Amino acid sequence: MLLFGLLLLLPLTNPSANTVRLLLTTAVWIITSIGWNLLGGLTGQVSFGFAVFYGLGAYATALMINAGRSPYFAFLGGIAVAVLASFLVGLPTFRLRGPYFAIATIGVGEATRVIMNNLDITGGASGYRIVEHTPFRQLEHYYSAVIIAAIALAISALVFHSKFGLALRAIKQDQEAAADLGVNPYLSKLWVHAIAAGLTGVAGGLYARYHAFIYPGDVFAFQTSIYILLMPVIGGIGTVWGPVLGGVIFGMVEEELTVHFQNTHLLLYGLLLILIILFEPDGLVGLLRRLSKKLKSRRSREDSGSNDPEQILRRRGGVEGR
Amino acid sequence: MTASDYLDLLIKALLLAGIYAAMAVGMTVIYGVMKIVNLAHAGFLMLGAYFAFELFQRFNIDPVLGAVLALPAFFLFGMGVHWLLIRWLPKSDTPTLSSLLLMFGFWLVLQNVGYLIWGNEESSILMPRTFAAIHVGDISVPKVSLIVFAAAVASLIVLQITFNRSWFGRSMRALIQNPYAAQIVGVDDLKTSRLSFGLGTAFAGFAGALLSMLYSFNPDFGRPFLLRSFVIIVLGGLESVSGVALGALILALLEVFSINIPIPWYWHGWRAFYLPASYQPVISFALLVLVLLVMPRGLAGLLQRKRRVA
Repeated sequence: MLLFGLLLLLPLTNPSANTVRLLLTTAVWIITSIGWNLLGGLTGQVSFGFAVFYGLGAYATALMINAGRSPYFAFLGGIAVAVLASFLVGLPTFRLRGPYFAIATIGVGEATRVIMNNLDITGGASGYRIVEHTPFRQLEHYYSAVIIAAIALAISALVFHSKFGLALRAIKQDQEAAADLGVNPYLSKLWVHAIAAGLTGVAGGLYARYHAFIYPGDVFAFQTSIYILLMPVIGGIGTVWGPVLGGVIFGMVEEELTVHFQNTHLLLYGLLLILIILFEPDGLVGLLRRLSKKLKSRRSREDSGSNDPEQILRRRGGVEGR
Repeated sequence: MTASDYLDLLIKALLLAGIYAAMAVGMTVIYGVMKIVNLAHAGFLMLGAYFAFELFQRFNIDPVLGAVLALPAFFLFGMGVHWLLIRWLPKSDTPTLSSLLLMFGFWLVLQNVGYLIWGNEESSILMPRTFAAIHVGDISVPKVSLIVFAAAVASLIVLQITFNRSWFGRSMRALIQNPYAAQIVGVDDLKTSRLSFGLGTAFAGFAGALLSMLYSFNPDFGRPFLLRSFVIIVLGGLESVSGVALGALILALLEVFSINIPIPWYWHGWRAFYLPASYQPVISFALLVLVLLVMPRGLAGLLQRKRRVA
């Protein structure tokens, strides 16, 4: 809440256009991270092809804006197209398990990129330009991105704490057992996929509107899918704040890295990914949590010892509640 | 489209199948024994290509020899990677999320190290042999393709023999069939896994080196082959080299003939349908999804089932 307020008030400090752009980009990435995390982190279905929804959202929004629609209506259009696509993709692929699904999504991403490259209506490989007949106001873009990011976070928190979220978690841990308990894994996966795709699609739309120029090699690239996946995993897969943290780190650092290490900035992320998988699967959020627990336990050990069993349990960390 | 054109395409498909099989077998072994989807396979292919490239550039070593040298080099490399990274992964008899992400991270690292060392321009191995071709009638076959095919087939035969005759091969097969039972009968899980990973990596490097003779490459090299390898694994099943060969053949045939699919046009006999070459990932993907939906255990599983019933 505090953070959100800060972000809203930021323009009062008269920041440079570059800073606003940085924050806007970060907000867009946060939205995609939150979206992907719902499917990949909460439900355990790792998709390497989320650029599909990002790109489709971008193109749909672009087409609608150029057709004269208001940009916000165009965003809705982007969401709609992305959600529709998510069903098309999900219907066959969710019959596959684990890594089969993941590899199939690589295929989906590649196939879509290839098709969009060859599609002349949308400019094919040379890209597509958006022409807006209203003056460019950077702050408007910034606000729309930040507000949508906040909405995305709210949706994510809602899903996490709902019965639906519980069902998804069950699917992640053991799909058959979840089915035995009455969850319909196939449908649940389709629904969460739709939500995730919708969020990613609106992020694509925001991106498209801001940059006013998109091309398949950018929005449909495998590298984009990687970015979308990296951020929540590094930040903390399966947590509410993980994707936000990941998006923030990525958005801020990416600029600097791309300048200095054009082709090798992914090296850092690759190494981070390896370290995280091996040592702290919950990503940075997990790391922070562990640190804070250690600090807390050290502090409480200094308090007077109490023989009340409840207090002892609470001091020891107790039952993990998310 | 004349008959000799079809024959030409058929030969191309066959040659392609050879190299596809050699490429896929590396991933198959690792997946079968350890249930790890080795996304870094693409990275190993790329490294294999650059290995041959460097040997060729600096020491003027024939890439075929380079490929053969790649086998022990990458075997050791693979075992090192296993010791460093893989053995920490939790064991399971189905592929896990962490293994997937770990191999993906490693692939990113390999790719970017590649970019650091070799930049991002295309490299290729050019020799007089690259352009030589053998002509049989109307059909011309590039010499390199034949050499690559021969090398690939030879390696596959050696692998088949290892699989069936050696103690190591038996351990691998045991782990593939049932990891728990294998341990009960005394298979050393860790050692066999390490050797298998080394073997898979060795074949990836070998295939990569062979591929360097056919295509130009950059550090992003392996990616289209990754999807293809997986399709071949799914098609061919996990338990035999011949399964992989069969899967490779089917994929190669589909890819080659998709460039020119004969479709009956309602008014004039046969008309050919041209699928642009850039659409090939779509073929792999469509095939993959189709196969996974219809026969999850691959063609080999399908055939096994039929045989058992009969």
